[in-house]
Amino acid sequence: MWFLLLALPVVDVVLFSSIGVAYGDGDGSVRILFTGILLFHLVWQLTLAGSLGFLEEVWSRNLLNLLTTPVREIEYAVALGVVGLARTVVAVALISIVGGGLYAIDPTSAGWVLAPAAAVLLLFGWAVALLVVGLTLQYGDSAEVFSWGTLVLLMPLSGVFYPVEALPGGLQAIARVIPLTRAFDATRAGIEGGGVAEGDLVIAAIGSLVAVALAFGFVLRQMRRFRQLGWVTRVT
Amino acid sequence: MGALLDIQGLVKAFDDLRAVDGVSLRVEPGERVAIVGPNGAGKTTTLLMILGAIEADEGTVHIAGHPLPAQRHHAMRSIGFSAGYLPLPDRLKVTEALRFFADLSEVDDPGDAVDTVIQELDIDHLRDKLCMHLSSGQRTLVGIAKATLHRPRLLVLDEPTASLDPDIAFRVRDRLAQINDQHHTALLLTSHDMREVETLTERVVFLRAGQIIADGSPAAIAAAGGHDSLEELFLAEASRHRAVQL
Repeated sequence: MWFLLLALPVVDVVLFSSIGVAYGDGDGSVRILFTGILLFHLVWQLTLAGSLGFLEEVWSRNLLNLLTTPVREIEYAVALGVVGLARTVVAVALISIVGGGLYAIDPTSAGWVLAPAAAVLLLFGWAVALLVVGLTLQYGDSAEVFSWGTLVLLMPLSGVFYPVEALPGGLQAIARVIPLTRAFDATRAGIEGGGVAEGDLVIAAIGSLVAVALAFGFVLRQMRRFRQLGWVTRVT
Repeated sequence: MGALLDIQGLVKAFDDLRAVDGVSLRVEPGERVAIVGPNGAGKTTTLLMILGAIEADEGTVHIAGHPLPAQRHHAMRSIGFSAGYLPLPDRLKVTEALRFFADLSEVDDPGDAVDTVIQELDIDHLRDKLCMHLSSGQRTLVGIAKATLHRPRLLVLDEPTASLDPDIAFRVRDRLAQINDQHHTALLLTSHDMREVETLTERVVFLRAGQIIADGSPAAIAAAGGHDSLEELFLAEASRHRAVQL
């Protein structure tokens, strides 16, 4: 977990910023790649903190310990979220420091659009984390693949570094229904000075809220099934 | 005044198997009760339903008057659970781990609660030891300390002395009897060690195929089954169970 929190953000910012420097056509390319990885780490860190945090309980066979305390499910979910946000703050600070120090990039160059875009990304990241928690309740250790796999699929499909039009035709349709795509589009528009795409942000926010609601409902349903079907014996 | 634990008509089926089939049981404050039976009799499933970790298909569970699952949060304040298979946080010292669980159990003064259970269980020498370095006997004692931090009215133990050396098992039983005696904490345990059951409990609930077939003092249910001891009754039931399975 410490590698993911402290090393991976540095590796990513060096990797993508250097690609921008080598093959881009000026500051704009570097800033787009840097801001893309900065924002994607919001999703990445929150999702991993939530999903791996819960998987850790399964790996250590600790779920029954928790279930036999007065801790409520919602309290546990909030605690996971708080830890995830703390990790996100650390990662983003680290990326900003490295980007500013090594590549002279201003992390706020996209302007105020960063704030709503970040909120959308955090919401969506939490939805993914809840989805993985729900799958972990059913599949135990085997659900780890969803934790990583979802993020690996989301990165190319949500246009972190490029507009949707750069994807092959068939994938564009998928990319357009992912709320993250519009948040990244809006951020790129901000960097390129094209004004704030408010419509994109509103759609992304609504999409992310729907995703969180669906994921929350899924976790509640899985928790009921966990108790009804005796899944606790699989993870004890 | 109602029973501390009141379960009525519990049924739990997994696919075609009725693991628990109409179990009803009341445990009064300070009572010492063992649930025994051969493997697959439904002991652990019954315990897990009492703990709210498994939901019954039919029947009700009330702990200190709080129904499960609706008032699980309140019910869990009255119950402590210890089992050899429950982990402790390996990378924490014993006091840190106990402090963590005291917080989870909403203890008013966690530091004081930790000091108290450490003294009561005579594990002061383990205070600064990492949990990963504890022996199985030490882990059992720390597990019991963890389960009693919040002064539960009912202590549930799933095979508390399984795989322990006889001298350590003796010490664990002694501490459990002490907790029961000093704090009037009811004990509800499962065990395959019939001598332990006879020593530690005053009432035995015998399960077979998910149903209660006897409920009474160890001597009384052994006699009712035509045996001289609980161990003989258990062996007879276990051999009958194997014959049915074959």
